Amino acid sequence: MTQRTYAEGETVDFVIVGSGAAGGVLAKELATAGFDVVVLEAGPWQQPSQFTHDEWAVERENAMLNLAFEPIQTIRGSEAEPARRNAGRALAYRRGVGGSSVHFAANYWRFRPIDFKERSKWGSIPGTGFADWPITYEELEPYYTKVDWEIGVSGAPGPFDPPRSRRYPLPPLPNKSSGVVLERAASALGLHAQVSPLAILSKQYDGRSPCLACGHCSYYGCEFGAKSSTLATVIPKAVATGRCEVRAESTAFRVETNAKGRTTGVLYWDREGKERRQGSRAVIVAANGAETTRLLLLSASPSFPHGLANSSGNVGRYIMFNGHASTFGRFDHPLNEYKGPVASRTVHDFYDADAKRGFYGGGGIDARFNYQPIGFALGVLPDDVPTWGREYKRALSDYFTHSVRFYAHITSLPVASNTVTLDHDHPDRWGRPGLCLTYTDHPDDMKAKQWFRDRTEELMHAAGAARVWTQPILPIDGGVHLLGTARMGDDARESVVDRYHRAHDVPNLFICDGSSFVTSGRGQPTMTIQALAFRAAEHIARFARSHEI
Amino acid sequence: MRAFAAQIIPSDKSLPGADEAGAVHFVDRAFGKPFFADIVPVVRAGLADLDARARTLGERDFASVSPGRQVALMQQVERTPFFAAARMLVIVGTFADSAYGGNRNGTGWTIVGLEHEPTYAAPFGWYDAQDETNAKHDA
Repeated sequence: MTQRTYAEGETVDFVIVGSGAAGGVLAKELATAGFDVVVLEAGPWQQPSQFTHDEWAVERENAMLNLAFEPIQTIRGSEAEPARRNAGRALAYRRGVGGSSVHFAANYWRFRPIDFKERSKWGSIPGTGFADWPITYEELEPYYTKVDWEIGVSGAPGPFDPPRSRRYPLPPLPNKSSGVVLERAASALGLHAQVSPLAILSKQYDGRSPCLACGHCSYYGCEFGAKSSTLATVIPKAVATGRCEVRAESTAFRVETNAKGRTTGVLYWDREGKERRQGSRAVIVAANGAETTRLLLLSASPSFPHGLANSSGNVGRYIMFNGHASTFGRFDHPLNEYKGPVASRTVHDFYDADAKRGFYGGGGIDARFNYQPIGFALGVLPDDVPTWGREYKRALSDYFTHSVRFYAHITSLPVASNTVTLDHDHPDRWGRPGLCLTYTDHPDDMKAKQWFRDRTEELMHAAGAARVWTQPILPIDGGVHLLGTARMGDDARESVVDRYHRAHDVPNLFICDGSSFVTSGRGQPTMTIQALAFRAAEHIARFARSHEI
Repeated sequence: MRAFAAQIIPSDKSLPGADEAGAVHFVDRAFGKPFFADIVPVVRAGLADLDARARTLGERDFASVSPGRQVALMQQVERTPFFAAARMLVIVGTFADSAYGGNRNGTGWTIVGLEHEPTYAAPFGWYDAQDETNAKHDA
């Protein structure tokens, strides 16, 4: 596709930093509304035909992820500890047009009304910045529906769904064996396994191919365009307006501001490493909870000594990843979970937090076995199976096709001392300071993980697994949900952006991605990131038209 | 290395192992890759140590030792960084795409029972094939 290009020195209406779940939506909406848009994307513009099923390259060498380009991230439990190399999950996201929407598993849970006002319902939680969102589910609902229809979500109503104004555009994908055994377990325990909504096409839609069940959703790009990434959906539409240029391999390193405290553009390195500038009337940062933090902190100036938009000190604070816990089971017959999308059914009976449990926390439990052979063989089998030799080999053969994991996705609390900060000792490949994660799980988060692991174990027994095994509950050391680091709120002392994603401190700077989250939700954030982006785009366009930027 | 690999994922009558997969060819190539730069000296030293242990048994090298005694020698070093690194190389060599030198003729897929196709059609497994809701959905 040929795209409109803007000449060096030309000032556009909006520069958007990041082309992922939020950036792609914002680009399409604003370009469609008639504005001139340049999207700066750090990674390459890959075509679906370039995606592969090569497990070694994709999962083990992290070929699509930031981690291949900034191999040293650091971690510490608190500011008092020295930072050490993060050999765990680290702050992980995909670099490239479409961002992490290209390699995600495409679970598209909506948040529910409770997620936006849980502080009011539950009360304060010591050691946290637990707060209500400045918006409600009802305000966001039309935009959830817009996501369903604009990008293509397959699903069916379930017993615990929040209200919706329009049905799903596409019927569910086939139920997998994992979904069937989860249904069996749920009904034995008086619970409910409902269809997992997926941003994957069950039928042809909007000129795109339906899912062919290749089994490579999570971590992989879809070569058929059936996964509703922004690369496959809104970005081509943004470009087709003739007003949007997506500039790949362009790494933003500073949002430029003037003496009046307004943004004037973004400085970036092009693919040759040459410094360039894109001037604009307004800037939108949609780079994900880690990169948005880095860019704002790197944009400090005499007027913004602690980083741009950071008068509250909350840029980089309150990072949340979502907790996880699981139980594995081996069944008598093959499930062949390596085929098809990741998960087809989810139990949502434990979504709401319940004071009777003795801690704050809620979540959902799905069923999956999203391991490719290398990852499986390196470390999924039960502890009592030898790790090499005859017995090991027999287990490789017995377990791969016959196993499933009941996987809980859980709340994480916003804690002020859990932060992303700049690490000047470990620069990335471009010479920007690296990322340091300071994180200690809140005690309620650890209890929630333990509690949910027990529920997954009960479900696995109820499902009739021949062999049940678990893995230890571990503290969080990173993840792919990068939430809360530029939180939304009405009070400029407590939050970074207002309810319209405008930075409290800078009238023509907007920030919209996972960083805007006030609370973590129950574990699948992308649907909400995109609903926020559709809503933000509508308000930003309104402000621009009425000269309120 | 080939003898070591054959003990990590052994071959037997019913299923091939790391040897048929040609995992050692993956390892040969891996030794030249920057990605493995840190572990190559560890693996070389560990293999030399296994040979030295074999010589104390009066054998020429590790590969010349009988399979049963190879297992016993490997158990002596099971908890070393060498063993972890070498085991990882054998596993990756067995299951990674054949473009990397191993997993010949899809041996890795055969071991785990994966039908290696570019796409699949439902039903995928035994349980969803039995499921009535799916049958209705298809109809």
